[in-house]
Amino acid sequence: MRALYTAATGMAAQELNVQVISNNIANMRTTGYKKQRAAFQDLIYDHVRRVGAQASDQGTVLPVGVDIGGGVKTVGTPRLMSQGTLAQTGNDLDIAIRGEGFFKIQMPDGTFTYTRDGSFQMDATGRVVNAQGNPVQPTITIPQNSSGLAINAQGQVTVTLPGSTTPTTVGQIGLTRFINKAGLQPIGDNLFTDTPASGAPQDGIANVDGYGDMQQSNLEQANVEAVSEISDLIAAQRAYEMNAKVVSAADQMLQSTSALFR
Amino acid sequence: MENTLLVGLSRQMVLERQMDVVANNVANVTTNGYKADKSLFAEYLKSGAHEDNFVGKDRAVSYVLDSGTFKDFSQGPTELTKNPLDVAIDGAGFLVVQTPAGERYTRDGGLQINNQGQLVTAAGDQVLGGSGPIVFQPTDHDVSIAADGNITVLEGINRIDSVRGKLRLVSFAQAQALLKEGSNLYSAGTGTAAQPDIVSKVRQGFVEKSNVNSVAEMSRMIEVTRAYTQISTLLQQQSDLHKTAIEKLADVPA
Repeated sequence: MRALYTAATGMAAQELNVQVISNNIANMRTTGYKKQRAAFQDLIYDHVRRVGAQASDQGTVLPVGVDIGGGVKTVGTPRLMSQGTLAQTGNDLDIAIRGEGFFKIQMPDGTFTYTRDGSFQMDATGRVVNAQGNPVQPTITIPQNSSGLAINAQGQVTVTLPGSTTPTTVGQIGLTRFINKAGLQPIGDNLFTDTPASGAPQDGIANVDGYGDMQQSNLEQANVEAVSEISDLIAAQRAYEMNAKVVSAADQMLQSTSALFR
Repeated sequence: MENTLLVGLSRQMVLERQMDVVANNVANVTTNGYKADKSLFAEYLKSGAHEDNFVGKDRAVSYVLDSGTFKDFSQGPTELTKNPLDVAIDGAGFLVVQTPAGERYTRDGGLQINNQGQLVTAAGDQVLGGSGPIVFQPTDHDVSIAADGNITVLEGINRIDSVRGKLRLVSFAQAQALLKEGSNLYSAGTGTAAQPDIVSKVRQGFVEKSNVNSVAEMSRMIEVTRAYTQISTLLQQQSDLHKTAIEKLADVPA
């Protein structure tokens, strides 16, 4: 009986749906988090009677066929890369991107990763680093005893050196764009790596050529909306229950058949 | 004499198929753009015995046959997602998708951009515009899709919209003749040519959910289960009848 297996694909899909939703809810307060959603497609059909088949030699065709579908499959968990709201923190090294682009981070193995999480710190040598201590690209070193750290919309970092009254530029934080940012691969720690699907990284400067601008002392909140996640969760749970009911109904039918043997 | 058994069997086989259809609808209750299937049945007449064998007229025996599953093309509910690449179609139109096997049609508007900047479905097939695939430039942002399917973007620092193409919407005079291919795609068979659709409207930031009515599917499921069990009981009684007949008739008094 195919219904049993069809319902099983439905249960598996809803289980994955709940996993995706629960990950969104768990990351509701994660800086720079972008929500995911599960995308489903129907499985292949068995065309028992093909629609449009010749019904007679007079050229009449079947107006409807018998198509039995095999259930559902998950085609992907695309990420919704919409802008999150900005929250003011008052911290000098917190930067939010308003618009397109990612911060570029150099990992200890020399490779580059990308993030929307701009909660940066200074390490022991004065370099601007992310929460894991990996330097933001291009590497910027804040001189010791400097004050008045300011980051403008283009990402230029200026400080006032001791004994000076005019600010000095110490570097410019760059941004990186991807033609398909939803194709980036998440690796945890709010970081993404580029993939063949995302396209090659395009480095650029904030507030120029369609790159977003930088907002100092702000952080980008997750773009998860509690209301829609909860309603999705309820819908997923009900769908799971219904598929379970189909399994028990199909089981009941099989039972009544096997009861014929005595 | 075996008619009950065979008629019952024909009914049960059809009910199993109907259950498969219900199961597929329920499994796709969260599939975007999915259209529910409904089962149709037909009577299949077969004369039981030759007319000469009986004094009265022999009656034909009706078997049941599933004659078709028709697709319910009613509009599914639309959900606001705020994703600029989500489109819901308001009307009878379909998006045109280029697959390796040729042009296919879909109502699933959860679209993406691939690594070449082309507008694609979640499965990676190109979504076609009026003149081939729709391609975005690396510096494009703020994608806007108008109700007529016209796609405009802001490129780089431009403040004036650049047109990137227009979604091709098609409809069919006989949508029932479309063949479900799986992966949310439909293919057009012979005699069902796609016609340009200028009536349907595109809604950006929405997706069309599955139009499966879960309450109706659950009641249909119960109906199918009950009918199936009833036939089983009928077959059981018929079998008992045979058993009793054999026992009684073959009972040779000592």
